[in-house]
Amino acid sequence: MNEHRARRILLVDDDASLLVVLAEQLRDDGFEVATARDGQEALRRLDAGWPDLILLDLMMPKIDGLALARQIKSEADLPIIVLSAIDTADSKARLLDEVAEDYVSKPYHYPELRARIQRVLARLGDRIPHQSLVLGPNLTLDLHRRAATVSGKEVQLTPTESRLLMTLAASLGDIVATETLLSRGWAETEEAEPSYVWVSMRRLRQKIEVDPDRPIHLLTVRGVGYRLVAVREDPSCVDASRAGG
Amino acid sequence: MAEPRPSTDPAPSPTAAGSGVSFRVLLTAGLIVASVLPLAVFGGLILLLGLDNNIRVMVPLLIGGVVLAALFGLLAAAAAVASVTAPLRRITTAVERVAAGETSPPIHLTGDDELARLAESHNRIASEVGRRNRELAALLGAIAGYNPADGPQTLAAHAESDACAIYGLIDCRLHLVDTITVPIEENVPGDPRPVRASVRAGSETLGVLAGHLPATRSWERADQDLLDLFASEVGVALRNAELFGQIDRQNSRLLELDAAKDEFLRGVSHNLQTPLTSIRAYVDQLLAGSEEAARDRRLQIVAEQADRLTRLVRQLLIVTRLEAGVLRPEVEVIAMATRVRRAWEALNASDVAFELHDEAPGWLAVADPDQLDQVLWALLDNALKYGGREGKVEVAIRVDDPADRIHVTIADHGPGVSEADRARLFTRFTRGATQSSGDGTGLGLYVSRQLLQKMGGELLLEPACEGLGAAFTLSLPGEPPGDET
Repeated sequence: MNEHRARRILLVDDDASLLVVLAEQLRDDGFEVATARDGQEALRRLDAGWPDLILLDLMMPKIDGLALARQIKSEADLPIIVLSAIDTADSKARLLDEVAEDYVSKPYHYPELRARIQRVLARLGDRIPHQSLVLGPNLTLDLHRRAATVSGKEVQLTPTESRLLMTLAASLGDIVATETLLSRGWAETEEAEPSYVWVSMRRLRQKIEVDPDRPIHLLTVRGVGYRLVAVREDPSCVDASRAGG
Repeated sequence: MAEPRPSTDPAPSPTAAGSGVSFRVLLTAGLIVASVLPLAVFGGLILLLGLDNNIRVMVPLLIGGVVLAALFGLLAAAAAVASVTAPLRRITTAVERVAAGETSPPIHLTGDDELARLAESHNRIASEVGRRNRELAALLGAIAGYNPADGPQTLAAHAESDACAIYGLIDCRLHLVDTITVPIEENVPGDPRPVRASVRAGSETLGVLAGHLPATRSWERADQDLLDLFASEVGVALRNAELFGQIDRQNSRLLELDAAKDEFLRGVSHNLQTPLTSIRAYVDQLLAGSEEAARDRRLQIVAEQADRLTRLVRQLLIVTRLEAGVLRPEVEVIAMATRVRRAWEALNASDVAFELHDEAPGWLAVADPDQLDQVLWALLDNALKYGGREGKVEVAIRVDDPADRIHVTIADHGPGVSEADRARLFTRFTRGATQSSGDGTGLGLYVSRQLLQKMGGELLLEPACEGLGAAFTLSLPGEPPGDET
């Protein structure tokens, strides 16, 4: 599904020297890069054409990066990676869940940043549900805010769990290969192994299944991968209409 | 004679109480009746007997007369006794009530003999006790209402108006000055009576409470005691208000300092991390530029030092976040051996021997990756720093199967941790005093232990062991190998 045109990235940061070097590094890796030093410039660039991804510094003195991110999200569902120095308060990092696909703290290592960018771009084709996803009487996913409602109780999902469920939900009812889940859940530089997927799925079942030993939503397809399935009102009846693969 | 009524009505109607005749008159009359009446009856009978000679008739008459006289005498005596004891009983009951702390209605006895004066004296005492009780209750109520947060000025104003209301003073002032500067007024009969009491807090005299009482009011020792009590309670309240004010000022000062510290650290965060980001980015670009550049030791050192500085800045920021209670780890599954090896490689200590024993293959730790990196870096950096470059750093990964916990022991071959250092090793800003090399923030072990505890783990110093240096063991929740596909 990936066309041959270069992926476009809009880089928003108030640090001019960083913009120069990061833009060069990204261009060397085949990306098409536009830069903006503040929110106004960023919005002007967006008017001229939408990129595939925005790299945004949240800690800019002149404008509120979070407000900018919200404005961008309200206009277009563009993936945003926040590139920011670690703040003394964690509250901001929490707000990121609302607007950002990922977070890379400054100073970053370029290979890691590139790996994160590639992971987000790989997910572009996925239809990520932005509303609540009702999978059955006992399970509703709210992946845009990293939460699930299980038997009426809300449980928090980790960023990785949320990414894995997004990938599975994008192919609801279909098998998703372990390798695919590995590449969506973890960046290349994290050196994740297939066991990461296995164990994460086991932990996810503990969180979202009413009976983790007899899962009805998160099913293992031995030797291949996993499927996420919706069930009808009667929890014993698996929705077979979409279970093709 | 009416019995004293058990009613607590403070003002019973006088008609119900008094007999209308003085006690002394009653007593005299009673005694006369009791002694004279039988004699008169008996005398009368003797006279009658003398006039008639019929003995047979006379004997029963005489006997009857004696019995009658005795009966009269007894009745009269009983009446006399009753007239004496009834008012005495009333006074006794009333005094007992007052002694028991109850209110007592006034006793009304006519005449001006001893018993009447006794009743009057009781009435006065009873009414004063009642008044002081009310004053005490008002005083306690006023004191209970003093809030140290109101501040000394408001409290002083309250104390003045309360003193006037409680003691019925015409005026009252609280002089918070040296007691000597408030002259003692003389009591001139007919003029308002001056009253005063020292305002004390503990052994210190804060000032004096002085006012005037209407000239008609009495002022007993007990009244002075009550005023002294009030004044000393006011003193304590004033001192509390003063201390409260001090604490309040110190609190706001601390809040200011805390805000300044936060501001400073935000500055550190931005002003150090931003240039570091540029340095790191340019070095990355240079290192990636050519084979020759990638081998340039000078560039490698710049990259290493930038990384080192980055980790130190992050450590500092983690401390502030730990203290602010805003640090919430996001736990993910992590292969420990890979993570340890990467942390070691990041330290660029290829000249030091490194051994990694993974006795828990397939197991994954459950931790926040970034924070685990901070812990591993701090522990490995310590092992390098204190183990000596000639030594060897050994890492063993084990698993506690039934508990699903992963243990990682990081050991060096340095001199180890002295007994003196062991106790305070995990506190902030402490380094091993004996082998302090001056570098480092002194935060590594403190931050590591705090981070691990936040992630449901722990960090312990292993007991000293012959031939081995310092050995730290971190533990974290673990997941057994997955085998689902």
